[in-house]
Amino acid sequence: MINAVLVFNNAGQPRLTKFYTQLETSVQQRLISEIFTLVANRPNSACNFLPLPPLLASSSKSSTPSTPHNDTPSLVTYRHYATLYFIVISTSTESPLALLDLIQVFVQALDGLFENVCELDLIFNFETLHATLAEMIVGGVVVETQLEKVVEGVRSQGTVAKRPVNEKGGMGFAGFGRGDGGVWAGR
Amino acid sequence: MFEKSLYDLIRGLRNHKGTEKEYIDESIKECRKEIRSTDMDLKSTALMKITYLEMFGHDMSWASFNVLEVMSSPKWRHKRTGYLAAVQSYRRDTDVLLLAENQLKKDISSPTPAVISLPLVAIPHVINPSMASSVLSDLLPRLTHSHAAIRKKTVVTLYRLALVYPETLRPAWPKIKERLQDDREDPSVTAAIVNVVCELGWRRPQDFLPLAPRLFDLLVEGGNNWMAIKLIKLFATLTPLEPRLIKKLLPPLTKIIRETSAMSLLYECINGIIQGGILEAVEGTTEGEEVARLCVGKLRGMMVIEGDANLKYVALLAFDKIVRSHPYLVSQQQDVILECIDDPDISIRMRALDLVVGMVNSGNLTAIVGRLMRQLRHAPIANSANNPANDRARATAVTPYAESDDSDAEESLRPHEQRSDQPPPLPEDYRINVIRRILEMCSHDTYSNITDFEWYIDVLVQLVRVSPSTKATAAEGGDSDQSDDVGCSIGRELQNVAIRVKSVRPEAVDAAQSLLFVDLRDQMFPSSGNGGQGVLEYAGWVVGEFASYLTKPEPVLSSLLHPTSLQLPSKTLTVYLQAFPKVFASLASDEQISWTPERKTLMSLLMARIIHFLEPLSTHPNIEVQERAVEYLELMRLASEAASGTDTGTEHGEFTDPPLLLTQAIPALFVGAELNPVAPGAQRKVPIPDDLDLDTPINPNLQYLLSQAELEGFEPDEDDVYAAYTEPPASFNEPQPPTAISASERLDAPHKEPVSYQNATEDEYLDPDIIARRKAERRERYKDDPFYIDPEGDRGSGAATPLGRIVRENNTELDIDSIPIMHLELEKRGPSPGGEEIARQRSPRRAPRRVEIMGDETLGPDEPPSHSSREDLVSPRFAPGQARGKKNLLQVDSSGLGTLSLDDDDSSGRKLTRFELEQKEQEDAEMKRALAEVERLRLEMQRASERLEVKHETLVKKKKKKKVRRAEVEAAPVPEPVAEGEAVPVKKKKKKVKLEGEDAAGEDGQAEGAVKKKKKKRRVVSMDEGAPVQEE
Repeated sequence: MINAVLVFNNAGQPRLTKFYTQLETSVQQRLISEIFTLVANRPNSACNFLPLPPLLASSSKSSTPSTPHNDTPSLVTYRHYATLYFIVISTSTESPLALLDLIQVFVQALDGLFENVCELDLIFNFETLHATLAEMIVGGVVVETQLEKVVEGVRSQGTVAKRPVNEKGGMGFAGFGRGDGGVWAGR
Repeated sequence: MFEKSLYDLIRGLRNHKGTEKEYIDESIKECRKEIRSTDMDLKSTALMKITYLEMFGHDMSWASFNVLEVMSSPKWRHKRTGYLAAVQSYRRDTDVLLLAENQLKKDISSPTPAVISLPLVAIPHVINPSMASSVLSDLLPRLTHSHAAIRKKTVVTLYRLALVYPETLRPAWPKIKERLQDDREDPSVTAAIVNVVCELGWRRPQDFLPLAPRLFDLLVEGGNNWMAIKLIKLFATLTPLEPRLIKKLLPPLTKIIRETSAMSLLYECINGIIQGGILEAVEGTTEGEEVARLCVGKLRGMMVIEGDANLKYVALLAFDKIVRSHPYLVSQQQDVILECIDDPDISIRMRALDLVVGMVNSGNLTAIVGRLMRQLRHAPIANSANNPANDRARATAVTPYAESDDSDAEESLRPHEQRSDQPPPLPEDYRINVIRRILEMCSHDTYSNITDFEWYIDVLVQLVRVSPSTKATAAEGGDSDQSDDVGCSIGRELQNVAIRVKSVRPEAVDAAQSLLFVDLRDQMFPSSGNGGQGVLEYAGWVVGEFASYLTKPEPVLSSLLHPTSLQLPSKTLTVYLQAFPKVFASLASDEQISWTPERKTLMSLLMARIIHFLEPLSTHPNIEVQERAVEYLELMRLASEAASGTDTGTEHGEFTDPPLLLTQAIPALFVGAELNPVAPGAQRKVPIPDDLDLDTPINPNLQYLLSQAELEGFEPDEDDVYAAYTEPPASFNEPQPPTAISASERLDAPHKEPVSYQNATEDEYLDPDIIARRKAERRERYKDDPFYIDPEGDRGSGAATPLGRIVRENNTELDIDSIPIMHLELEKRGPSPGGEEIARQRSPRRAPRRVEIMGDETLGPDEPPSHSSREDLVSPRFAPGQARGKKNLLQVDSSGLGTLSLDDDDSSGRKLTRFELEQKEQEDAEMKRALAEVERLRLEMQRASERLEVKHETLVKKKKKKKVRRAEVEAAPVPEPVAEGEAVPVKKKKKKVKLEGEDAAGEDGQAEGAVKKKKKKRRVVSMDEGAPVQEE
């Protein structure tokens, strides 16, 4: 299952924190900063899987390899879009490559809802951000992976506010990265 | 008063660059006021703002009751805000959870789908067992709601309910199963159920076997790749229970592997085949061969063809699983896997490292270790002090700051990947990991993979130079933490080789000796930090124990006695204390040297230095160091007296006997039976002698003697007790001859030159001085060998010019005449293919030395390998704190599910489990209560201390806050208006407080303490009476 979904920007400022287990606020912040340190140092060509941050790594080694799965979070997957990092922490029951697709769907859904989404949209509409996530993941279990249904689910709850008018509009964009290339067609 | 919207708050934050903290404090203060308002809009906005700030680490637990208020608003917009705040801020110890329960129940039963979704999403975050049983009855009907969106969320919510309250599944599972079996069910709902079943499946696979046909149909139908992945994962846990499934699964899985374009699905298929044991099951058949080849081929493709780091990573993950059952399949892919060891990406390197340890054999060991060593040597040692990781981790809260340029944040998220291209520095834990892996690979199975121990000793010495510095605390702690240090692990290896491999003992002692030299320290150890210092302890032991092998005993002794040695950790110092008498003994014991005045002066000087070194140590705080220091101090004083008392020979050429104490007595302390490695289990096998009586006290008057000793004080008496301890026991066990490796094993050992000799890659991972030494040794070794072409010896003498170089120089026209004639016995060796290879091929293969490795000594038959394996000596030993299996931070414990059977037919078993379950639940509940109590108290104290910190900022705020909080505490379960009422007079007091000024400061702390205590008491009470409150 998925243990946490995090979004933060290139400077480590959180934009979305969702922990599917109850965790002290201060511990949450430590975890975020640990993961940020890990992710910020990675080169462009590196893969999208992180080694476990120190907070999570301490007890994971004790797990026995005899059982195929267990409850300990063992996988930290991330994707980087422009100014934002999207992070998913999960156990071994999730597929690493499929999680990458899931993040892609999440971002695409946000893009559909905000029309050319950017970090500012997410800052000013963080309720919508949470609502979108809630359409996809409930209690750490994925409930929807189809883009249209996610967008439809959020829209059914009311109109999605655009960012305030006096903020500048979004900038031009140059299509998706490798996400559209069909390599990750895991949905 | 001016009220800010969330938008204003964020704008404001962005405009207060540099003063964000003040701005946030101010805003939270405003929110505290606004949230008390009766205007629901205002209240809801304030809540939204503090929820936003909570994201940055600003505690909002104080608003838990207000969250509930907003949740219960009839307006959907408010409700949404309230529920979001609840999800983000409610913790296990939030006391309004009891009150929230009714609200949740009410909203689940709402007619509006949008409203139902809110509690469905929130419940997984706030659920506890007592709540679960009460909410369950409201949730169940939602499984048949007309909206698919509600149904799928309900399924997942029920799963989370089951995690804390396993009984949930009894009524819920039949209904969920019904949904799953329904062909006309919405695909989204089916997918959600499959997700849940997959999560439940690995805990109790046997319960889900009856579903296999339906799940199989879903897999074959295809369509949703996400669901297919989950189904495959589920089947991988089912196949071990039902082997017949394998035959059925194989065709669709191979079909997917061949046809799918989705890499994630392809990978999971392969993974499923591996994990489900399908590869093993079909092994030997042609079909199995084909599947195995297909999987490995595809995995190789993922690593090579795609050139995609992610695919490489997951392929390594899969190989890691295959290598356990099919090592030969993986070793075929050795080339691509070894490439990954040097991948710029740390994540991939770590995976490859794990994998490589399982693949290593005597043929590739040197090559693999060489690659790893090269990495260690070329990456700079990260300085832990200015490592940003350490600084950031300490920060508890991130303060939102105003971005200087808004355009950044407006950048569209669509463009992908914008990262720096700098290679990451090697993190320290990776470094440590690599060193440990090298040691693990080399020492595997009592060094069965090593053919050249001199090489191994060089590797060990090089490893010391690249070891990362240990944490300061571990070095100072000295005792238990030390064994964790990589330096110690390297040292243990050096010690082991010195003991076990007699043929390289001189080299091992040489290495230990060079490690000890104080003047070489800069060269032998990392230039910064205290990395590798742990090795000193073992090097000290080696030079002491094998002092006779030392080439430079005197410098070693002066290094041991160097003033800097006094600063070493006490553990190392104890070993040093034992080592230098041994070295001294080997220096002094020669009877053949006449006791000349020079000899006498030298000995006296040495002893004087030893005594000088020991004197300060006799008051060392560590008791072990102190004891040994005092013992040897006395011995040395005695020896020194004896030396000065023995007259020297007056004339040259006349032999005078040196003092016996130096030549006989002191050496006799240290020589005797040779030390041999003993198997860990051997001690247990020593038979207990029949006449051994452990029950009768040796001296029946012990009590009396003790009491007498106490009265009289300690009196050293030199009677037979002394002798009993000093004289060696008569029945000393003769050491067994070292267990040599059997002849057959020797035959099996590959007679092969280590790869690195040919490839000459050593230059890349060994430091120049070590290489120079190796070269010199090699030259020495082969100087009489006509076949050896010295790479450097050709200068000047044309006869030794290698053929290859001439070929290279005159590439186009080969002038045969200019080739100097070498006396190669061509008729014996036959014609060579020529070209560059010649030089290498001609170089004679060194006859593989048969290295004798001492095995562990033991008695009787061998222990099972798990006990006697040497790996546990090398593998990291965790500090006691770490070893305890502590629960992971983010872990959601699903172990409760393991005891619940979903099988309805087996009624007897079910009854039993139900009984057990109840019992377990009771225990769990008690345990939880106790834990919650402890945790709550801890939190209380933590919060109180946080509050105290806040209080120091302004007096006025402090005073006011405290009063309000007291009001809150007293009115905790009572609705808001009361608190409001009490808060009013506080405002009046405000002015007064201002006048009082600083006088109030002292009181304040005390008052706070009182409030804290009071609050604590109150909480405890409310928890004990949890049930009655709930009924209210």
